Amino acid sequence: MKQIAIAVIGGFRAESVQMRRSKLLLFLATVQSVIFIFLVSIFGLTGSRAPIAIVDEDRGFYSAIFTDSLNNAHHSFSLKFMEKEKALDAVKHGDLVSVIKIPAGFSSGIEAGRNVFIDVMVDNIDVDMTEDIQRAVPSAIVNFARKAGLPGIRVKVNETDMIGHDTGFIPYLVVSALALAAFVVSGILSAAALSHEFESGTIKLLEIAPVNPLAPISGRIAASALYSLAVLLISLSVVIFFYGIIPLHPLELAAAVVMCVIIFSCAGALLGAFLKRTLPAASLVFGLALPLYIDSGAMEPERFDGNAIWAIAHLSPLYYAVGILEHAFHGFQVTPEPVFINFIALFIWAAVLLIFTAGVLKARMASC
Amino acid sequence: MLGKIWAVAFLELRIWTRMPMAAAGALIPPLGMVILLLVLSLSAGKQPVALVACSKGSQAVRMADIIKKDSEAYLLTVTDSSAASNMLAGQEVAAVITIPDDFDTALAKGSASLELKLNNVDIDFSDDIRRSVDRSAAQFDAPAMAPRDGDEGQGEERDPYALLMDSPNPYLINIAEDDMRETNVGFLSYQLIPALALLILSVGLAGSALMRAKERENGTSRYLLLSPVPSWALIAGRLSGGLLASLSALLPAAAVCLLTGVITVPPGHWPSLVLIFITTGLFASGLGNLIGSIIPGTGLAAMTTSTVSAILFFLGGGFTTIAFLPEWLRIISSFVPMRYAIDGLRQSLFYPDLKGIVTDLAVLSLSALSSIIAGMAMFRKSWS
Repeated sequence: MKQIAIAVIGGFRAESVQMRRSKLLLFLATVQSVIFIFLVSIFGLTGSRAPIAIVDEDRGFYSAIFTDSLNNAHHSFSLKFMEKEKALDAVKHGDLVSVIKIPAGFSSGIEAGRNVFIDVMVDNIDVDMTEDIQRAVPSAIVNFARKAGLPGIRVKVNETDMIGHDTGFIPYLVVSALALAAFVVSGILSAAALSHEFESGTIKLLEIAPVNPLAPISGRIAASALYSLAVLLISLSVVIFFYGIIPLHPLELAAAVVMCVIIFSCAGALLGAFLKRTLPAASLVFGLALPLYIDSGAMEPERFDGNAIWAIAHLSPLYYAVGILEHAFHGFQVTPEPVFINFIALFIWAAVLLIFTAGVLKARMASC
Repeated sequence: MLGKIWAVAFLELRIWTRMPMAAAGALIPPLGMVILLLVLSLSAGKQPVALVACSKGSQAVRMADIIKKDSEAYLLTVTDSSAASNMLAGQEVAAVITIPDDFDTALAKGSASLELKLNNVDIDFSDDIRRSVDRSAAQFDAPAMAPRDGDEGQGEERDPYALLMDSPNPYLINIAEDDMRETNVGFLSYQLIPALALLILSVGLAGSALMRAKERENGTSRYLLLSPVPSWALIAGRLSGGLLASLSALLPAAAVCLLTGVITVPPGHWPSLVLIFITTGLFASGLGNLIGSIIPGTGLAAMTTSTVSAILFFLGGGFTTIAFLPEWLRIISSFVPMRYAIDGLRQSLFYPDLKGIVTDLAVLSLSALSSIIAGMAMFRKSWS
């Protein structure tokens, strides 16, 4: 038992020395974990506030109310007041999604109770963006009619929100991006630790060690997991201090981060043992990161995408991790399963991966 | 001399194809991107919503029909109140729209309402639902607010103003929509273009970087000093090899996109498209040579190239629309060559003219030249 403990500690020390010597590797892992948070935020910026030009040829009382309504139409538009020619030029070059022209006589027409027209030029290059505009302009008109107190409107919408406040897309995305950062950093670092043993041929030497070779390898994986945890703390600091998202349940957050590191370190080690090379293992982790992230409820509760995609999402630990992280930060339940079930699922993932990784390692070492 | 350069280029390509791990490393990120797009395209735009019609009155039925017909906005489940509540709690739907049992009576008094219960965990889909329900409610009094059919306005001469004027509208504002194009480009087609750019970038960058890193690891790079071929020709051959690798990965992917109709090239836009692919490939190859000549070890080179390509891709508008970004980010993005590659590809494929393509090509060529010069210098230095 003592020999095994010494071997584990030895592996841990060896990997720590290796890590300290690979400053570039640690730097890249840190950059990747932080960069993912920022890159995900960039994606979040496209979820709302489509850039559109307002060509206001009326400049009257009601056109001001209408532009205000456009501005408040459920985060739909980022308005830019422009001259017609400039606006048309910008929309043709893809700098704007749409140009809305409020014609002269708009205010007097509304004042007189006459129907008026607004010209909405849409760059319908992308069906998704076009449909957003086609929904948002009527929504702004509804808002305008309410503000202007127009008569004859018989149906209104009474909204009841399940959550007392709205949460921006970016605060939602960056929290789930922590799970992605854990996946990338832990996966790559532990895969590198394992495949380095194969690449340098030292795995063969472990076979003649007086203890089970899994012991020093466990130490190596533990060291890489610890480094991953340290790197993730930097990402976590970015989320808390840069984005200003304060976790409602810090202990839950800590537990989730630790579980993520354990699971993804095991997954990385498994990959390293299978592929025996750092290069494809790192690329595979990197390439799988975004698809797995998207199919984990990272952008919205996953079941909203349909039961088939939701069912597939259960196959990835990221799904449960995102469920816990969203609850830990925002108090949201984004999986139909309660948080404790998500924790149990992560424990099962960790246990299965630990056993499976040990089995695969044993087999791979035997084949060396 | 050209023959020698080509010989080195083909040798580079052959070595690369014999390194399945390197090829997999370069191809996995763009493949991951395509999978991501497929997943996203399944859910883009429509939101799962339950409709509960508590009234059987004629006006309530009309209201329900308006909502049912808006298949662009809702993935609708018509159900009863308790089932809808269960679906909302179980996250099968994001919202429940209820038409109350007194809808017809309230309507006669001019104060009917639609009850919307919304799971507003984030504003992205919540706002989509809010906009859609607003439009449905408005459509009841103003039928002209109805979403347009996909084929409306194509092929037939219509006067939208006359049609709208005939329609009642207490909101007083009518929308005269003018689409810039005959057809909308689907979400998948629109986003696949950047995926092609990522493919060139990833293969050119990772392919070249890993070849250089491997040469340094194996110590074979110093033998190049003994070569009878001038060093510039060797380097040019290596760069061309990186470009060939990029193009050989791109061609089958582009062919599949063209054959399946996911992308179509407007007449006269082929030359600009080919030039963008080549300049992007050269830029990627030059940068890959630079990274591979600086970063020690294939593993580290792989991590560096994946990080660099992710940054270049995202900041270049690969997964976003630059116009949506804040000013400061747009300024940063203007220094990212991939922005010009993606802009140029979209301009060539989706727009009728080639506005801005000269700028795109000029920036890409300049970036390619800079990366090639820097890559060559570092590569040559690494021999010793």
